[in-house]
Amino acid sequence: MKRSFAYALSLTLSLTAAALAQGATTVRLGYFPNLTHAAALVGLERGTFQKELGAGVKLDAKSFVAGTALNEAFAAGQIDIGYIGPGPAINGAARGLPLQIVAGASNAGAVLVARKDAPIRSVKDLAGKRVAVPTLGNTQDISLRHLLAENGLKAQSDGGNVTIQPVAPADVAAAFATKQIDAALVPEPWGALLEARGGRLVGDQKTVWRGGDYPTTLVIVNTTFAAKNPELVRAFLRAHAASVKFVNTNRPAAQAAISRQLEKLTGEKIDARVLQRALARTEITTNFNLDALKEYGDLNKEAGYARTLPDFTKLVNLDYLKSATQGQGR
Amino acid sequence: MWMAQIVGILAVLFVWWLVTDVLKVWPAYILPPPEAVLEEFSYGLFGEAPGGRLTQSILNSLRRVAIGYVVALALGVLIGTLLASSRALRETVGGWLTAIQSIPSIAFVPLAILWFGLNERAVLFVVILEGLIPVALAVSAALQNVPPAWITAGRTLGARGLRLYTKVLLPASVPHLATGARLAWSFAWRALIGAELLTSNPGLGQALETGRNTANMALVLATLVVVGALGGLFDLALRRVETRVRRDYGLETAL
Repeated sequence: MKRSFAYALSLTLSLTAAALAQGATTVRLGYFPNLTHAAALVGLERGTFQKELGAGVKLDAKSFVAGTALNEAFAAGQIDIGYIGPGPAINGAARGLPLQIVAGASNAGAVLVARKDAPIRSVKDLAGKRVAVPTLGNTQDISLRHLLAENGLKAQSDGGNVTIQPVAPADVAAAFATKQIDAALVPEPWGALLEARGGRLVGDQKTVWRGGDYPTTLVIVNTTFAAKNPELVRAFLRAHAASVKFVNTNRPAAQAAISRQLEKLTGEKIDARVLQRALARTEITTNFNLDALKEYGDLNKEAGYARTLPDFTKLVNLDYLKSATQGQGR
Repeated sequence: MWMAQIVGILAVLFVWWLVTDVLKVWPAYILPPPEAVLEEFSYGLFGEAPGGRLTQSILNSLRRVAIGYVVALALGVLIGTLLASSRALRETVGGWLTAIQSIPSIAFVPLAILWFGLNERAVLFVVILEGLIPVALAVSAALQNVPPAWITAGRTLGARGLRLYTKVLLPASVPHLATGARLAWSFAWRALIGAELLTSNPGLGQALETGRNTANMALVLATLVVVGALGGLFDLALRRVETRVRRDYGLETAL
């Protein structure tokens, strides 16, 4: 007993020493079970991340319901690399979280769907209704508040009559069925799924904001982690870029991979046609519009979630992505 | 007393300022400095929309707890009276109430959401449930402890049936009721914040959730201060009432 304990201890010590000598041996990845995180889903399902990071590095992937929860894990130092929406990313940076945006992951892909028996045909009809977003303060919540303001409406928390209710996207269908919620602004594939179950599309990915040219998911890194492990960040981004490319060049296989991951994470088996429709409304890409990102910062303030904005020149760092994809030809 | 209070608060503020602004022991997103919390207060209480949300939250929470509290008092007195009237009821329902009281109020929230939906009724259900139990138990105990001589005297003077309750028994149990009402307040207030946190109805609980979601620890701290201050102030006021009542009934000597 004693000997095995001593052995285990010495093994642990030597492993820790090895870890300290070689930098991190674990990459902790955060992402959500949404189609807008397709690159993460495909990369995990096909083992692309693990392949690029190498056999000596452990990939520890955790899924979150929304960016706000991921931000919390980030603040607690539990996540090294994350797929997250611009809202929480900007908010976190403004509060001084050590994060940097290193790549885009998807654009557009958020839609407004109403319950079929609710009399909602336009955004204006949301007056007096209950609208679900993934969580308060997340990207869709900020978009919704902007959409309401544009239509002369206000949230109940600001003295208006639209109730904004945080509901996990996978639970919206159930909330529709029990009439607890009248409409939802959700990321794909949940929008397409609600539509398939009889929900009415009130605003598509383009009407939601900027004609569809807005980032929905970004890749962020913990700056302390990145400074210590630039090679791991580059390796990760190589895998990220490869996954993005795979989604765009090999739709059927990518869709199957996404479907399998979503089923694993949410227990929801999504019909191939639904997924196809959802993917058509989402642009999977490593690029994003910087102006749109800055505008998100302004919307964050407009929504009352931020008082200050981060320094965008420091927040966005595309050097890792550039050197990672240049190294592609090695 | 006031001097000691002010010195105490200043000391806390000083230590807080020292570890955040001067020594920077933790990053601001873990423990924000006092001025960040002050900013949340001024923005949340007096800011132009979308500021002023804290004021809205306070008003919403107070309205909700007021409704819940009044209903809880009324139901509590009713249930307490019923319990006092029957030993069988006391030993069954009375025991259950004591058991239910030991369940943290937040544990009822999932049930309330399923029964009432993600709305204010779910919150009120939990608040009323938590508030009525201490009142019911206090009233029940008070009615049983009314000196038999008073009841005999009341009967002799012609009070029977309902009149015996309204003229003799209930007035006699007022001191116990005052204690129950104060306990009910702190139970109701705690239940309210917990329920608001989980159902996300506009209120102080939701303000906490928003602060958490937007990595805004300053808002979380500001909200906690409001929750603590309001809870404490109401408790203080009810304690005054209780002391006065007990003194008037000769149960306590004047301080």
